[in-house]
Amino acid sequence: MIVANTLFTRVVRNSPYLLIALLVVPVLGGLLGVLLPAFGWFPALGAHEFGLFGFVQLFQTPGIERMVLLSFGTSLASTLLAFIITILILASYFNSPWLKRIQRLLGPILVIPHAAAAIAIGFLITPSGFLSRLVSPWLTGWDTPPDWLLPHDPYGLSIIFGLTLKELPFLLLIALGVLAQPEIGKTLRAQHKVASSLGYCPMTGFLKVILPSLYGYMRLPLLAVLAYSSASVEIPLILGPNTPPTLAVAIMQWFNDVDLSLRIKASSGAILQIVITLSLLGSWWLLELFVKQCSAAFLINGEREYGGMLIKRLTDMITIAMLTVIGLALVAMVLWSFAGFWSYPDILPQQLVSLHWTSALLQMQTPLFNTLVIAISTTLIAIALTLLVLEAEQQNTKTISAISGFIIYLPLLIPSIAFLFGIVWLFEQVNSQHAYVNVVFSHLLFVLPYVFLSLANSYRRLDPRFSSVAASLGVPPSKIFWQLKLPLLISPILIASALGLAISFSQYLPTLLSGAGRINTITTEAVTLANGASRRTSAVYALMQMLLPALFFILAWAVPKFFFRKRG
Amino acid sequence: MKSTLTQKTPSLNISHLQLKQQGTPLLSLNEEVKGGEVLTIMGPSGSGKSTLLNWLVGMLPSDFTATGELYLNGQDITNTASHLRHIGLLYQDPLLFPHLTVAGNIAFAMPKGDKQTRRDEISEALNQVGLAGMEKRCPQHLSGGQQARVALLRVLLSKPKAILLDEPFSKLDSQLRQETRQLVFEQIQRYSLPAVMVTHDQSDAIAAQGKVITLDTLSLNEVAS
Repeated sequence: MIVANTLFTRVVRNSPYLLIALLVVPVLGGLLGVLLPAFGWFPALGAHEFGLFGFVQLFQTPGIERMVLLSFGTSLASTLLAFIITILILASYFNSPWLKRIQRLLGPILVIPHAAAAIAIGFLITPSGFLSRLVSPWLTGWDTPPDWLLPHDPYGLSIIFGLTLKELPFLLLIALGVLAQPEIGKTLRAQHKVASSLGYCPMTGFLKVILPSLYGYMRLPLLAVLAYSSASVEIPLILGPNTPPTLAVAIMQWFNDVDLSLRIKASSGAILQIVITLSLLGSWWLLELFVKQCSAAFLINGEREYGGMLIKRLTDMITIAMLTVIGLALVAMVLWSFAGFWSYPDILPQQLVSLHWTSALLQMQTPLFNTLVIAISTTLIAIALTLLVLEAEQQNTKTISAISGFIIYLPLLIPSIAFLFGIVWLFEQVNSQHAYVNVVFSHLLFVLPYVFLSLANSYRRLDPRFSSVAASLGVPPSKIFWQLKLPLLISPILIASALGLAISFSQYLPTLLSGAGRINTITTEAVTLANGASRRTSAVYALMQMLLPALFFILAWAVPKFFFRKRG
Repeated sequence: MKSTLTQKTPSLNISHLQLKQQGTPLLSLNEEVKGGEVLTIMGPSGSGKSTLLNWLVGMLPSDFTATGELYLNGQDITNTASHLRHIGLLYQDPLLFPHLTVAGNIAFAMPKGDKQTRRDEISEALNQVGLAGMEKRCPQHLSGGQQARVALLRVLLSKPKAILLDEPFSKLDSQLRQETRQLVFEQIQRYSLPAVMVTHDQSDAIAAQGKVITLDTLSLNEVAS
């Protein structure tokens, strides 16, 4: 497409380079900032020689094998469990109205930050939690909280539970998104119908016909979940064991330690974390090959039914249990936030008070202000940059290259703990003293991919004939962008903004590290309070973490309806 | 207990069918199709052709209601689950499963049994329709006509008791259309299957040499030619 050479078109043309630079420089620079100390080069400590003593120190750490095993085991188990339950739900309720209902119930879980979800689950499973109160004393006979080590169990079961519950809605919604695509969904449904006409019961038909095709579309999100859970910090920090914790949590503690010499061990740990994540991705790939090999005969053996009713009943039970657990966790959190005196094993508090809310709201003014300022700034930059890059695609009449597309998702695939510390080092090298700017910059790395993912489809699907008609009327490109495309895309832009805000609200590690501990947000406060003494204040903060993104999603949904409703 | 009609020859009996869409009558039908015969249903879009097929396979969408019975070889299957009806479906798109080979697609449809016997049966069937040696090919690498033949074999080797054809030749060019049509109708007669075909094309209806019903959206009358 031939476009006029104006300031707007020049900015648009160069925006993809800016986007790539904004993502590549910090991620690769961050990795370098971790690699150098990992191999002994850390001038601030007078270490100018390369060597492996960081790794020697790391492998001499008591419990290091357990940390590695916990990181590996919890992420593999939770991803596998979330995937299996997703498939069971899809196979059981495919073509049934229940699937839409489950989707509606689980959808909002996506906007709950990991820290808030972990706090909610903690409230449920602690010895004096809601779950044990519900069955005591009438069923268990317990008058005092039981002596069980949940959360913080040494085997990481609580982490697996938390990660599974948090990742399941994501995987389910990804799969449903694929099935909702007109062409793919129509073909898969028709193929399922063919399988049914060939005598396959609905569940077997789903597993043998739809799953092999659907899996291809779920693969990348699955790998992202696996990579994320292997290096996540919030859930293992709140629900995981302390002696020892998962590797990612230990690395974070070493990096934040006042003893600067631990930075070298932490950097070596970050490299080990990358190796663990890569091993997990490799293991998943091997698992895929194994399943593919084993299922070749299974797919065509002519067996039409594998106890479908039994599996359906089992799935019904799992689904009900899962929805109940999520519901109870939310109820427990609300109750704790209003609880006065609440003795065990009473199901409800003796009194409900608003004191925790009023005092927490007073305390949280600064964190709330910080949260909003950082999230709004980050999201505005992310939206602007995404729109410019997508406009550049249309001006060049081709989508961005596969490599650029991969780079956009780079921060989601590389464990953040492995490059965030390097970014802090980069900030120090360029003498960036502005904590706000640093935090916005690091949030941008995680907000940009989601905003791009959310907006790209709508922008690319916009009928190009609108622009052609406008251009033929003599309207310049900038005017087409501002006065034609943006108003047409207001709804997806608002949804992408709400998503960007939600992602920024939920960031813990980037805020903690880039802000050098000087910037408190609702999330950093919630995580700090989660393992503290006041369960009630912690509940208020966790609820605020949930309410903020929910509020902006409601606004994103309501604003276009209110301001852009059809006239006449 | 399922009611049965005393019958020995294969047949599909649509008895006093009344289809309604959200309470509004859509079509009524009372027909019997004998083994080897093709009942052709024609009519404009929205006249209920696809809805009729959906009812026959037991997949009527929730905004439709139906009264009447469906008998297959004398057995009442009105309330039988769709996957237990033994009614094969052939669409305008072959809908071959992309993750399986040509042989895999056919084996998928065949009843359980000895591996070698199934393999031999597949090779023989492919040979009969001019696709010898294509067992290991990916369906995506076949031409439209070849895909249509594999889809037909897939249905036939599942040993259905009746077959439904949903505009099965509409995406084929005229030469291929004639060849495939001839093959399909020959097989229907060979296996003595009652068949119902939905089509927009008059030449399909003529080639089927069976009864033709034209559905009218306005009058709800069936017009036989």
